[in-house]
Amino acid sequence: MSRLARDVCLIGVGMHKFGKFMDKGLKELTRVAVWNAIRDAGLNPQQIQAAYFANVLGGLTTGQEAIRGHIFLREAGFERIPIVNVEGACASGTMALREAMLAVASGLYDVVLAAGAEKLYLDDTARSIQAMATNTDIETMGGMGFQFTGAYAMSLKKYMKNYGWTREHFAKVAAKNKYNGSLNPNAQYQKPLSVQEILDSRMVAWPLSLYMCSTMADGAAAAIVCAKELAGGLGQKPAINIAACALQSGLVSPDDDGQKSVAQEAYEMAGLGPLDIELAEVHDAMAPGEMFRLVNLGICGPEEVADLVDGEHFSLAGPLPVNTSGGLAARGHPIGATGLAQVSELVWQMRAEAGPRQVRGRKAAYPRVGLAQNSGGYLEGSPAALSVTILTR
Amino acid sequence: MDILLKENWIKLPQKNGDPPHLLGGRCQVCGFCCFPYRFACSKCRRDDSMQEVALGPRARLETFALMQVGPPDIPTPYIMAYVRTKEGALIFTLVTGCEVREDAVHLGQEMELVLEKIKEDENGNNLIGWKFRPVAGGPQ
Repeated sequence: MSRLARDVCLIGVGMHKFGKFMDKGLKELTRVAVWNAIRDAGLNPQQIQAAYFANVLGGLTTGQEAIRGHIFLREAGFERIPIVNVEGACASGTMALREAMLAVASGLYDVVLAAGAEKLYLDDTARSIQAMATNTDIETMGGMGFQFTGAYAMSLKKYMKNYGWTREHFAKVAAKNKYNGSLNPNAQYQKPLSVQEILDSRMVAWPLSLYMCSTMADGAAAAIVCAKELAGGLGQKPAINIAACALQSGLVSPDDDGQKSVAQEAYEMAGLGPLDIELAEVHDAMAPGEMFRLVNLGICGPEEVADLVDGEHFSLAGPLPVNTSGGLAARGHPIGATGLAQVSELVWQMRAEAGPRQVRGRKAAYPRVGLAQNSGGYLEGSPAALSVTILTR
Repeated sequence: MDILLKENWIKLPQKNGDPPHLLGGRCQVCGFCCFPYRFACSKCRRDDSMQEVALGPRARLETFALMQVGPPDIPTPYIMAYVRTKEGALIFTLVTGCEVREDAVHLGQEMELVLEKIKEDENGNNLIGWKFRPVAGGPQ
């Protein structure tokens, strides 16, 4: 069960749409997401007492290596309050959320901002690609030809061999997520694609073709974290509880992708299990990765997930909707913002504010238990940083 | 000119006909093995147990990916892979010595270490590092 000193919830979330914004920098992306979250909460912004800011590659992509949060949040109207810069590759957004949760749970602050932003589209694509390579150990992998598409391909290949997963299953997952993204105004890619179009798109790293994969993206996301006992008086909308936000680091060559242990920690913290989850956002930088994430979260077995994909189990109308936002490959993956975008989607769904992509819960018109799984970087066979967040209403 | 990348991680052949090896570490307490060598064991979190060990030249192909896109300094297509040595070290590597096709190698295949050009530096020098190739005539 939770060992936090007091309960913590989310009272507001917001995003800057994910996409390609050649004329926008990190200052503008951050400001828009932060103020969308403040307005979403209906919060007096003076109430925010501290901020955690996630960004991964701004130093390499823009040259602004130090005090990024201080610079971008000052542009958004924040000075004096403590600002802590957080980095853990693609898991950075969840790391910022978790630090905000811990700061509120400790009793030091009542209202804390978590924000994440990333700018990957540059005039110089080679610079973006080389920056992305630093999400690994550049001495053993990043400088030696490692690519994240290849990491997913290598993982998927083992499941294909052992459990009969096929490219058709992968294309179905991608098509489902592209459709979800087409209903999400914040998504980078809003065009639905057929299974055949996805299968026929250019091969990137077999079994992965282009339309299964996330690309470069710009964007930002933010969340306002609040003490549960104060949420009613400060926020204007139903508070969504942070029942768990677990973070672990990867192990050397685990027998799974390293996710099982952090999922177990999150379930224990929330006092819930995988069967309680009604909605999930999982880290699918390449859409088929959704399948092994679900396996390692304990939601289904490796031998049954392909049949569940065939049966549209994870679609908007299915028993367990997954990546209703479109996931990383359709919503987009501006890496430092991704964790907070996942959480934003859960909050919107759990408040029944998700518009045409709104899903039903098992006991209510909206889901009451949502899970976000977010991982970052890659080291010796597994992600470097692993996180699982569970929200309840 | 050829420049050896990470020369401290590579044990060059002592005489003609000898194979090269990679220099890894093995924990004398828990048996954990890694490449490259590190001074502390991350499995048992101690700094007095790691011993240098020569890895290879043989290893099993753990998994691989045929890359049609890649970083600007590595020509495509190419194969990236993980291989595992008999001591248990997991090594990220490029694959060489076979056709660059999906069916040219397979999971579990026996591979061997070679030292080859990985890429060029900005002055046109060949940067030499570790790669693995299928063992000719080896067990499939």
